[in-house]
Amino acid sequence: MAGLTHTIEVPGARRLELQGVLCTLVLALVALVVVFPLVLVAVQSFQVAPPGQPVRYGLDGWRAALGEPGLRTALVNTFNVTFVRQLLSLPLAVFLAWLLARTDLPGRHWLEFAFWAAFFLPPFTVTLSWILLLDPEYGLLNTWLAGLVGARPFNIYSFWGIVWVHVITGSLTVKVILLTPAFRNMNASFEEASRVAGAGGLRTALRITVPVMAPAILSVLLLGTMVSLQTFEVEQVLGLPFRFFVFSTTIYDLLVTRVPRYDAATALAVLVLAAMLPLVLAQQWLTRGRRYTTITGQFQSRLHRLGAWRLPALCLAVAFVVIVLGVPVVLALLGTFMKLFGFFQIADPWTLANWSNVLGDETFLRSLRNTVVLATGTAVATIVVHSLIAYIVVRTRYAGRQLLDVISWLPFTVPGIILGLALLWLFLGVGFLRPLYGTTALLVIAGVIAGMPLGVQIIKSGLGQLGGELEEASRIAGASWWATYRHIVLRLMAPTLLAVGMITFVGAARNIGNFALLTTTANRPLSMLQLDYVAQRKLEEAVVVACVIMFVSLGGALLARLLGLRSGSLG
Amino acid sequence: MGAEPGTTETVLSLDRVTKLFGTARAVDSVSLSIRRGEVFTLLGPSGCGKTTTLRLVAGLEHPDEGEITLRDRVVASAPRRLFLAPNRRNLGMVFQSYAVWPHMTVFENVAYPLRLRGTTRSAVREKVGRILDLVGLGGLADRPGTLLSGGQMQRLALCRALVYEPDLLLLDEPFSNLDAKLREQMRAEVKLLQRRLGITVLFVTHDQVEALSLSDRIAVMHGGRIEQVGSPRCLYEEPASAFVRDFLGQTVILQGRVGPASGEASRVAVELNGSLSGRTLSGRLAASVALEAGAAAHLSIRPEDIEVCPLGSPASQANQLPAMIDALAFVGDRYEARVSLGEHRIVLFLPRAREWREGEPLQLGFPPEMVSVWPA
Repeated sequence: MAGLTHTIEVPGARRLELQGVLCTLVLALVALVVVFPLVLVAVQSFQVAPPGQPVRYGLDGWRAALGEPGLRTALVNTFNVTFVRQLLSLPLAVFLAWLLARTDLPGRHWLEFAFWAAFFLPPFTVTLSWILLLDPEYGLLNTWLAGLVGARPFNIYSFWGIVWVHVITGSLTVKVILLTPAFRNMNASFEEASRVAGAGGLRTALRITVPVMAPAILSVLLLGTMVSLQTFEVEQVLGLPFRFFVFSTTIYDLLVTRVPRYDAATALAVLVLAAMLPLVLAQQWLTRGRRYTTITGQFQSRLHRLGAWRLPALCLAVAFVVIVLGVPVVLALLGTFMKLFGFFQIADPWTLANWSNVLGDETFLRSLRNTVVLATGTAVATIVVHSLIAYIVVRTRYAGRQLLDVISWLPFTVPGIILGLALLWLFLGVGFLRPLYGTTALLVIAGVIAGMPLGVQIIKSGLGQLGGELEEASRIAGASWWATYRHIVLRLMAPTLLAVGMITFVGAARNIGNFALLTTTANRPLSMLQLDYVAQRKLEEAVVVACVIMFVSLGGALLARLLGLRSGSLG
Repeated sequence: MGAEPGTTETVLSLDRVTKLFGTARAVDSVSLSIRRGEVFTLLGPSGCGKTTTLRLVAGLEHPDEGEITLRDRVVASAPRRLFLAPNRRNLGMVFQSYAVWPHMTVFENVAYPLRLRGTTRSAVREKVGRILDLVGLGGLADRPGTLLSGGQMQRLALCRALVYEPDLLLLDEPFSNLDAKLREQMRAEVKLLQRRLGITVLFVTHDQVEALSLSDRIAVMHGGRIEQVGSPRCLYEEPASAFVRDFLGQTVILQGRVGPASGEASRVAVELNGSLSGRTLSGRLAASVALEAGAAAHLSIRPEDIEVCPLGSPASQANQLPAMIDALAFVGDRYEARVSLGEHRIVLFLPRAREWREGEPLQLGFPPEMVSVWPA
């Protein structure tokens, strides 16, 4: 062996600097596409000249955002919708999570899985299927009640219709899947002490379990609120018919017209971001250092016996699963076979023509191609970029790693349409990036950024479990950094990385909020095509596309779960 | 490889190596050199910088000051901005967690370093087979690495670190995850293997028994610095500092003041304080220590060096103190006695050759050559 040793001295300081340079490059790149666009948006809100004319700064945009009745109403509507849907979904989610995690509810693992699957249903698809039930004229539920009591009480094109669809899409399921593991990990001795002291099951749940879990519940509420602002398709579909606007649909409306009003749109975006700031700070403060306070290692979790309440509780839980998962899937499928979307009463309502029309349509095929390229590209780019970020944050001593960590989490707090707006600005405003506008590459970048908080978080926790010594052992055995990365890190992380790739694939395939402002007819993916079909009142075509996306979503989610992804690693 | 008798070739040397974590000096100007074929141990409490020193040698950390030389190559030098990556240092290392790669079999784990070195397929099979047989893992070659017991994983990690004949083997607390019995067995196995193959070993541990029994030389570390380097016996019998004295083995410490100078230069008489005042013990001055008459002093002795003298024997008054047995515990091969010596409580092992009683008075003898005197 002695003959192999080098007697030359190797300038290794270079390697040290190389790592630093690489880390700085990643940080700079991530900052460029995440932070810089938001700064551009803020600057743009003071630029009042119409597009194509010399730059002129002023306060017109802000005056509009704060003063124009339409824009002010949009902000008030946003607040109302957000507040009411959280108010309704939180107690329900806490109750369902408690049932799933702390009681002997029969089939609770299957029910939990059902909520997990429901979380991956595209909101757009869910919206369409509830239109079938709650349309004021022909909705199934309304026609049925009309025959029964002579009234059509429901109207999905209303404030409460929007709130309802929101509650059963994002708001409820995300809270249930985040809260259930938290409840499960709670130290059971708190509850047992209460039972021993003489309190009944319900009293214990209300007086002990919920207060003990208060930090987790509050944290999930804040996270849920941020997530809920990522989508805008619900308001876009249900709000437009009765001129009900929230901030996201207003921004879209201001920009996708003949004379775009960039100043007002960006000012509105800055206002919303500013309103998000307290939520972000509160969430960070809540999770700082107390993430594991309720978790103990060795407790024997004794489940609360429901007794006579077993059956009613089961019925309730199953009812919710039917509402959040069964109804949307079945009705959306039914909808694709209808000659006239929603009209069950006409003679011979069923047809296969919708599928054959859409599947043979050149527009559909082009969009399908775009979606496949977009989703695959996003998944691959995500695996590379997110694992690089996670690796730097977890494994290196790079000085800027905490900053990188925070920036990678930032997109979580930025509503989808605003992130799209910011990227639009980046790619229109920075000269050398302009050629990318209108390409699928631009959407891939948006998809990678949108998936960043979740993807980096999952890979970080996977790397954390890996243990650095496995890599160090490989280095010492004679493997270079790159060989170690290929033979050890990549091999051991493969299931995690594939799962992340899978859920970003799904995310990119169904994403509307981030893409709405970035698509042209050339790069339009399926998710935008269905929205365009709705705008043209071609609901039959829209629901076919929506079903295709739904199957992609559910299949991808299922694959990711088989690869070992659990909701516990999401929080 | 194989140690050639009589050679004193230096395999590793550290020259004033410092590692900072923030402003804390985790390793503070450490210099040492390891000779070919010896087991050199870094011993100290947790946080003393021993593991960081090992990682600096391995190339897993970059030194902030100083220079590290492996054989005749400088592998890391802060002033010259040199750093050789760990994969180019030809070292073997056994980690505390063993770091057995879970996606590889036993065979693949050991073959990995050989494959990286471009060894031919047949040579890999032959070398891996030989070393697995050597440690008794021959029959388990196709088993996944994670389906082994703790002792087997450790042997596997050892094979993986030795199969490519590294210049130096680094052991990072390799026994700490084993139960007591297995630990003893593995200690003996490693020592045999080391002697047989003539490997040079740098060993890190916080366990003094491990260090004393395995090492040719030990460096005791404290607060990032090396307190003393020497053979196990030398460290135990002639500690150069109070830290080394108290860290290795048990000590009984008595307080007092240095009495008037006697004839012998190295012999000091100390007048005891507290409930033992009025009595005098004499001992030798600890290494490189000077004490004036009247100065506060500590007397130190290993409990096993204290003699139990027959009561009331007239010739035995010099360097003796009265004591009493407070509590007795029979532990099989001997008695463990809690003994009060003035206000001190000490633990002595008493032979089971005779009966002892709780409350029994004792006369304890402190042989002057076993008593060392330290500044307070």
